[in-house]
Amino acid sequence: MNKELEHSFVTQLEENQNIVHKICRLYTNDSDAHNDLFQEITIQLWKAFPKFRGDSKFSTWMYRVALNTAITLYRKSKRSIKTQDFENVSFKITAEKYDDTIEEQLKLMYSAVKDLNDIDKALVFLYLEDKSYREISETLGITEVNARVKMNRIKEKLRKILNP
Amino acid sequence: MDEFELLKKQWQSAEHEFPKLSYNDIYQMLLRKSSSIVKWIFFISIAELIFWTTIMFLIPDSYKEITTEMGIGGLMFYTNILHYCIFAGFIFFFYKNYRSIQVTDSTKELMHNILKTRKTVRYFVYYNIGMFILSSIVVSTIYYVHSNQLYEVMGFASKGVPRENFATIFIITQIAVGVVFLGLLMLFYWLIYGILLKRLKNNYKELKKIEK
Repeated sequence: MNKELEHSFVTQLEENQNIVHKICRLYTNDSDAHNDLFQEITIQLWKAFPKFRGDSKFSTWMYRVALNTAITLYRKSKRSIKTQDFENVSFKITAEKYDDTIEEQLKLMYSAVKDLNDIDKALVFLYLEDKSYREISETLGITEVNARVKMNRIKEKLRKILNP
Repeated sequence: MDEFELLKKQWQSAEHEFPKLSYNDIYQMLLRKSSSIVKWIFFISIAELIFWTTIMFLIPDSYKEITTEMGIGGLMFYTNILHYCIFAGFIFFFYKNYRSIQVTDSTKELMHNILKTRKTVRYFVYYNIGMFILSSIVVSTIYYVHSNQLYEVMGFASKGVPRENFATIFIITQIAVGVVFLGLLMLFYWLIYGILLKRLKNNYKELKKIEK
């Protein structure tokens, strides 16, 4: 195995590991499953790495492979019990002007996002990562217009959950 | 600022919450095995091919003698050769599909390719079930038509099997065993491939829905 390639890969993944962690957080419900998925994504990234030409940023390429793994390639382990751990998700809101209700709303929103189906979740994830609609459409393989329309629908859906 | 901008901001600032894996942690992961769906589909189909081939070899010689004495030995031989050629073709397609799946494709493309693999698997299943039904019917018919000869060949007279109802009992047994086996075969395929690909199919449907 090419040591240089290995080193380059591991270093870059170490730097960008938060992207993978975030996807795992959205697509799994406990730390065991989180670690499982993280590992599977790492393996898939490594398998595809020799073909990574560097014509896009490492992180951009990572989004695609990691999301593909979470949505299509990963066998969800049957052991995982479906529990929502959003209670443990702490949104540290520091600015004084935000009160508790906003934090509550964010928690609610986060749990609603976790309940979306795999594809919608991918859309929201890329949106939260501040990706352009062009990048979102390229990653998922849908048109830009459709990505926009779909995202607006999801926003509308989430809004209804927040303000019934 | 609306809720989404707020969530976006929080989302992006939440990075420090995640566990930080070291260089060595990640390096260790490279050495482990993958559990991806595609890999499993490929391995299960290969295992299946091996399974069927083994079954062929496990057919007892006494059965082969019966087919020879019944005069269908040649037919069986050529059918088997044809069968193996088709099998080899399927292995080739399975491998081609497996290689064509690129994790760097867009999500929709990737799913499309996986579902295409599934189509090959499905044709493989249809072929196996069809071949099973066809060969059972042909062999049973030949045996039924020549039931007197079969009675002699299998030496049922010395075993005290009455000659009168032999043909009827024989054909009923053949059908019953055939149906049970067919049921098991279908259950097996449904369990393996159906469950493995269910989530994937749902996700692909979602993507198609967006396109409408």
